Amino acid sequence: MPALPAPALPTNRDENWRYANLRPLARARPEPVASDDHAGGLELPPPLPGHERWVFVDGRFNALLSTPAPHSCASLLSARAAGQAFDDMLDAALASEGVDFSLARLNGARGDQVLQIAPADGASAALELTFIASGAASAGTSYPRVQVHAGRGAHLHIVERHVSAGQSDSAVNACFDVALRADAVLDHSRLQNCSATAACFDTLTAHVGERATYRLRSVALGGVSSRSTLMIRLAGRGARCEYTAASVAVGTQTHDVFAEIAHVAPETVTRELFRGIATGRGKLGFNGKMVVAASAPGADSEQSLKNLLTGSGAEAAVRPQLEIYTDRVRAVHGATTGKLDDQMLFYLLSRGIDRASAQALLQWAFIEDAVSRVDCAGLREEAETLIAARLNDVSALGNVTGALKASP
Amino acid sequence: MSLLKIENLSATVGGKKVLNGVSLTVNAGEVHAIMGPNGSGKSTLSYVLAGRPGYEITGGSVQFEGRDLAALAPEDRARAGLFLGFQYPVEIPGVNNVYLLKAAMNAKRKAAGEPEVDAYEFLQLVRGKMKLMQMDESFLSRGVNEGFSGGEKKRNEILQMLVLEPKLAVLDETDSGLEIDALKVVARGVNSLRSRERGVLLITHYQRLLDHVVPDQVHVLARGRIARSGDKSLALELEKRGYDWVLEVA
Repeated sequence: MPALPAPALPTNRDENWRYANLRPLARARPEPVASDDHAGGLELPPPLPGHERWVFVDGRFNALLSTPAPHSCASLLSARAAGQAFDDMLDAALASEGVDFSLARLNGARGDQVLQIAPADGASAALELTFIASGAASAGTSYPRVQVHAGRGAHLHIVERHVSAGQSDSAVNACFDVALRADAVLDHSRLQNCSATAACFDTLTAHVGERATYRLRSVALGGVSSRSTLMIRLAGRGARCEYTAASVAVGTQTHDVFAEIAHVAPETVTRELFRGIATGRGKLGFNGKMVVAASAPGADSEQSLKNLLTGSGAEAAVRPQLEIYTDRVRAVHGATTGKLDDQMLFYLLSRGIDRASAQALLQWAFIEDAVSRVDCAGLREEAETLIAARLNDVSALGNVTGALKASP
Repeated sequence: MSLLKIENLSATVGGKKVLNGVSLTVNAGEVHAIMGPNGSGKSTLSYVLAGRPGYEITGGSVQFEGRDLAALAPEDRARAGLFLGFQYPVEIPGVNNVYLLKAAMNAKRKAAGEPEVDAYEFLQLVRGKMKLMQMDESFLSRGVNEGFSGGEKKRNEILQMLVLEPKLAVLDETDSGLEIDALKVVARGVNSLRSRERGVLLITHYQRLLDHVVPDQVHVLARGRIARSGDKSLALELEKRGYDWVLEVA
């Protein structure tokens, strides 16, 4: 592979990176972490029923921990074999003014393995991808990369989980590229639960074809700094994107998202929902950019962005952006940042529920609005358990989660 | 000892004086109705009793079974056996009704040193009370008051009251906005709670609720104080002559 000049990291001077905490990534050694076959003592969650399991340690496939299906539609490629296709696609079709793909280019330049998932026309598959970060940032950065090319009418379920081995302060720069051909469906559930000292950065691009549906449900909990950069292009008539993101930033965590969804074909549909909680000195940023091109009459876009702040040191910035270049469009957008509702709190107190439990219950209810939409039940319950442990009153929430799930 | 003893109570809301020397005693086994024109301080009284932030007691005292109510946090008042039926019950999406009922019941039991309620017994109890309130069981798994009609919210308040079995229920305009059949259902719920040990403070605009829940005493609240008290016939007289008559006499 010819040596590529290493692209520079973005900076906070860039408007779309203003709220990200780039320091942990900038401090990390940029070379890939040396290959390591052990998983650093991490106990993996139980396998998800019906899913083949692919496990990666520091960006590299780990055969011992994985159970691929015999005739899996997924395969490992060298970065060289995966070729320039992605970079070309970025340049030709996806590049958008103000969107910085330097991290994706860094991944392309430094990473050496790509998981390609390519179900044929009409095929279906379910995969669980777990990425374990075990190396310290001083030892290098891990560069996981996944490319999805779903054939016509294919139906994919992908669970993507990012975790740490122990409390390592790993640096992760991941890429996930999606191309859905006509009538394909991708149910993509992702959970980022790296250690509280890790730097978790990812770039996701998606090209959604005619009548294809991309459902992305994302939960970000870990990392001292996390940032997701999304560029989703609804490229075929009737293409649909449902994007739900939940984020809980506690302590000194910073979670940032830049999501651009571009409607470039007629009758394309977006449903975007973000719910974030920042407590302590946690910081949350969500920049949701929605573009409706002149070539997309009949587009239908809904965006609901809400942040909840608890504690005086927490910060949040939600920024809905709308660029519309056609008259025939339906766009519903709302964004709020606020504190717990005093009336709801008093109502619960007036029923004898103690203050800490009442606050935890209201926070839980707020974030559940997003988390409950995670399609994969196993991952959803995993996320719910982790969130319950992160919110204030752990013991009370243990009861809360149990009771909320209990049917009468 | 009386259940509730209010003496010369003054209170402000947002710095504005709303209650101005209210005195009232409710004994166990009694139902008192508080009537009065808009802005007379009826809802303020209910919030002061429940401990809503922003409703400050500036004078006088409130004793609940001999305890100084002002010294108790809202949740402790509830656990001690005080229940407020809200005029405008708040919607809490994401927290389901059955969880709220169970958490509230267990909070009360814990405060009394009792073990948590058995799951089966709890559901049997709740189902029985729902039947009385003519509520469908599907309400249990819905968010608290989420998407409920006005009447459904009021029934839900009474359901909570019946499950929690408070010593004193303060019902703030539980009858407002109810059509006659729903009013009867709500009244049936309130009447089923009546006992020698419990008391009820009914805050209402209209006499019609008092046809179904017959009070032992009726008070007229005007300009932040009790302007007149009497038996149930006072409500009928108010219906006939309006509040102006009381205000003139006061």
